[in-house]
Amino acid sequence: MSEFVERAAPPLAETAASRRPFGLLLVAIPVFLVIWLVIWPAINAISRTIWRVDADGNTGFDLSSYAFFFSDRYSLDNLAVTLWTTMVCAVLLLVICLPIALYLRFSQGRLPAYVQALAILPMFVPSIILAFAFIRVLGPNGMIDILLNAVGLPKIRTPYLTPWGPVIGLVWDNIPLTVLILLSGLGSVANQFIEAARDVGANAFRVFWHIILPRISNSILVALSFSVLGIFSSFTLPYLLGPASPEMLGPFMQRTLRDLQDPIGAMTQAVVAFGFCILFGLFYVRSVARNRGK
Amino acid sequence: MTSLTRTRSRIDWSGIAFAIVLTLLIVGPLVVVATWAFTEVWRYPNIIPQKFGFRFWGQTLGRPDVWNALMLSLKLSTVVTLLSALICLPAAYAFARMKFPGRDILFFSFLAGHAFPKFGLLVAIAAIFLQLNLIGTFWGVVLIQLVGTLMFMIWIPVAAFQAVDRRMEEAARDVGASPLRVFWSITLPQAGPTIFAAVLLSFVGTFYETEGAWLIGAPGIRTMPVLMISYINNQMVIQYGAVLSVLLWVPSFIALMFARRVIGGGAFARGFGG
Repeated sequence: MSEFVERAAPPLAETAASRRPFGLLLVAIPVFLVIWLVIWPAINAISRTIWRVDADGNTGFDLSSYAFFFSDRYSLDNLAVTLWTTMVCAVLLLVICLPIALYLRFSQGRLPAYVQALAILPMFVPSIILAFAFIRVLGPNGMIDILLNAVGLPKIRTPYLTPWGPVIGLVWDNIPLTVLILLSGLGSVANQFIEAARDVGANAFRVFWHIILPRISNSILVALSFSVLGIFSSFTLPYLLGPASPEMLGPFMQRTLRDLQDPIGAMTQAVVAFGFCILFGLFYVRSVARNRGK
Repeated sequence: MTSLTRTRSRIDWSGIAFAIVLTLLIVGPLVVVATWAFTEVWRYPNIIPQKFGFRFWGQTLGRPDVWNALMLSLKLSTVVTLLSALICLPAAYAFARMKFPGRDILFFSFLAGHAFPKFGLLVAIAAIFLQLNLIGTFWGVVLIQLVGTLMFMIWIPVAAFQAVDRRMEEAARDVGASPLRVFWSITLPQAGPTIFAAVLLSFVGTFYETEGAWLIGAPGIRTMPVLMISYINNQMVIQYGAVLSVLLWVPSFIALMFARRVIGGGAFARGFGG
């Protein structure tokens, strides 16, 4: 996509002057939607949770919903399990996807093409189907149990409805984009660097550590930011595969808003989620913008 | 890392290992689901079903809730995609070709949604919809899904319009073609395939959109993915979910075929910031 941007010629001079307001008019509706349904809700959530109406009808600065969140055992447990899940998923994704990306970068032929197709396939499996498949394979009396039983081994302790359920599902779901982002980062590592290092006797590990890793550290951070943003507030997989208590922030927010009918509580949880993700979010947006701007 | 030392003649052991492990972990679960969809009897602990058959296809497709959900999902996806194309494609053309104040900052404003954890943002939007009585309504879900398509439907077409050969357009203008005529005969045919891919991606993406539909639409709006959630939670007959999964996967498969042209060459990953 970005190569198209580089070819963009400056607009024709005569149209530039005459269509100035017309261009703004054409982009008005999508821009309005972004302001109304992205920027305004975020500001609204923050302002309504810190600037609240008290019992006498006066509006004032009031952090009590945050005080409640950070003193409530259940909320804190949910936050802890969310942070744990996000961290475990991020580490697992790197451990799984980096070798795949390295393999794909330095090989060519039909076998790597097959491996790449497999690594990208989860992108085209909706998470709802993934959840169903997970239960049929790893759930009680699922395919794994059937196979273990057939060779005379005991059943597994199923990860379904434990914190490991969402971890497995989310890692599966996030493999394609992580591999693609890492692969695109590895594309900028020139073969000459590696050949030069090998000529002076560096082994595979040293080549990876001293030549490849420093050049793809930015891509690793982008991949991590992207998965952290997605996993931290994921809903479908934790809701279907995770335990009822403690639950991740996604299902927690949904329950607070719709079942407990407590929008202030739900917005407080959302703002807490924003706070934990802000650095990743800004880093991610900056990287995408910089790539597009090039 | 063994691939670095590998020479052409040796067997690609790491590749074979990756291929086997990924086949088991990624294709395996999908094969199990597909098997369930064509199973009539499969009792634990048999390794293969006792009886294959299409009985549950008839039963699943005969359920009114499945038909209602399918029709609603198709209607929602169509409305959202049409609206999105209607408002985004002119905007994309403006971003690609016209100069106006604040162009760059407005262009990158579509990234704003990606700076937040998605479900947190959905909850913040739902809190606003609560005040506007949009919760549980068709148009509430349309709005939330429309926002989800904006970035794709602007950024991909912008790239498509910018890739059109400007010299051909100028040549057409020189021989007296009107701007509309140039757009219709030169610009659109060149940008068309990529734009079509973006429209298709947004249709399929909307069809599978689960979280907004569940958060904003419940209980009145039951799309296919929302119906699937209730099947996973409450349905005792495993085959219903399996048949729905196979059915649900069809649009995704079409997207897979088309996405190959958009995704190729790592350009897609760069769009994600890689």
